[in-house]
Amino acid sequence: MLNIRDIAITYGGNSIPTVEGVSLEMNQGEIVSIVGESGSGKTTVIRAVLGCLPGGGRVIRGQIQFEGTDLGSLSRDAWRSLRGSSISMIFQDSGAMINPIRKIGPQYVEYIRTHQRISKKGAWDKGVEMLERMRLPNGDNIMRSYPFQLSGGMRQRVGIAMAMTFQPKLLLADEPTSALDVTTQAQIVRQMMELREQYNTSIIVVTHNLGVAAYMADKILVMKQGRVVDAGSREKILNNPSSDYTRKLLDSVPVMGGDRFV
Amino acid sequence: MSEPHDLILAARHVTKKYPASNGRILVANNDVSLNFYRGRTLGVVGESGCGKSTFMRMVVSLEAPTEGEILYRGQDITKLRGEALRQHRQKIQMVFQDPSAAFSPKMKIMDIVCEPLLNFKRIKKGEKEETARRLLEMVELPGDFARRYPHNMSGGQRQRVGIARALALEPEIIVCDEATSALDVSVQKTVVELLVRLQREKNISYGFICHDMALVQSLSHQVAVMYLGNIMEILPGGQVSHGCLHPYTQAMVGAVFDLHMDFSHPIRSIDSEAPSPLDAPAGCPFQSRCDRCMEICKQERPPLREIAPEHQVACHLYQ
Repeated sequence: MLNIRDIAITYGGNSIPTVEGVSLEMNQGEIVSIVGESGSGKTTVIRAVLGCLPGGGRVIRGQIQFEGTDLGSLSRDAWRSLRGSSISMIFQDSGAMINPIRKIGPQYVEYIRTHQRISKKGAWDKGVEMLERMRLPNGDNIMRSYPFQLSGGMRQRVGIAMAMTFQPKLLLADEPTSALDVTTQAQIVRQMMELREQYNTSIIVVTHNLGVAAYMADKILVMKQGRVVDAGSREKILNNPSSDYTRKLLDSVPVMGGDRFV
Repeated sequence: MSEPHDLILAARHVTKKYPASNGRILVANNDVSLNFYRGRTLGVVGESGCGKSTFMRMVVSLEAPTEGEILYRGQDITKLRGEALRQHRQKIQMVFQDPSAAFSPKMKIMDIVCEPLLNFKRIKKGEKEETARRLLEMVELPGDFARRYPHNMSGGQRQRVGIARALALEPEIIVCDEATSALDVSVQKTVVELLVRLQREKNISYGFICHDMALVQSLSHQVAVMYLGNIMEILPGGQVSHGCLHPYTQAMVGAVFDLHMDFSHPIRSIDSEAPSPLDAPAGCPFQSRCDRCMEICKQERPPLREIAPEHQVACHLYQ
């Protein structure tokens, strides 16, 4: 379904690519985790898939194919119909993606009506339905709230509801649980796993939390300084990593009831 | 086990209330009693808004409690004012979460780490660079960093500078408020190893706030679990993963994603979110989310009871 072939990405006319040699093949319904430390280029990769690299970022080599189409050759209009319907994204803090001085409802309606010819009333109802499906009780009330009136976990659910409105084939999640408490994190992770069961959505999740990555993923990509240092099934990466970096990374994660420092 | 004379600081029945809108009162800390022992780490965990930072801010005298006392070597520090308070601050220092926001960007590293020493006239201006080098080497940074500015370093290096500044006055207690949360895991590990080594060498007592259960239990001698301003359970760090008794602690432990967990089992967690501390229920604060809630939990707040040495639980299941 998604095929990333040996891409290289640069920012702002830099001659040295920020990300180089990244390849990934994904089937429908698969979940892939990209892990790595800050600055390793993991977010850059998924932003390239969505065609929204910031700051003059460009794919200079390689190809990204989504269901057989080369994403690099798409026109602006083609991108617009793809983004938000076939491919959508969840950010670290969905509250920051929503306009803080407008209520959620009108923004949600606007988003739905960009992608579908539907009445305002119909769009509103569709929004409420999606919010309630994401286990937000009283969706109508949420539509009438400002982002700051919701908790971090609720905002993240609004973000997921919006991203899932058109049942995308591919969902990109950039650190979706990093700003949340552990209990809320577990809820959101469980909910994302349910998306795959219900809609057969493929998910790429970018995270620095190796526990979350391992729990969710079928495949794991380990990145360091813009290169993929390790890739493979979850079992291979956890039990039999091929690079020393992966081993060091796994070794650094504190374990419940494991080695103690004191 | 700790001898009584190892007790450095004791918070006794500390309550902190903030006025809120409409004449309501937000109880950020409710009857909290915790001890700091020499050379030992007290970890505090809880969801955001549970009052763990408020408590630590009272320990470092950045806030004053509404009720209760904080005894440092027998003396109530909440009563200190003026010069006496200023002198006392040397004993308890703090490391902050965001190392890029904790320093003035226009100060050189040597000015940053020596500022506390100059404030208390412990060194002369001429000794600044030499002292800074010594402090930086203590936190495993090259001495040449003394002439750098904070923006010329990585996050992990900056956090080491934060630790060096906290160490400068040779305090007895260092409070780390999410001191490693902004760092990558491999960097986090090296910073934690540094903190633990310094603790062994200097017998420092740490107050460690963190939302990562796995990290807290791995470096704390004692872990206190807070919920809506109340202490729910206090237990030795090594017992958190298998020996915790309070349903809330168990829920927190169950929600941790671990590399050695059984991935075929769905992750357990509480489905609801913590209520606002403004409308904390009467009775047990955790009743609304507890799956073992009984009739008595809705009426009476369970007191903290010792059920094993160094293990206290506030829950009606164990009364």
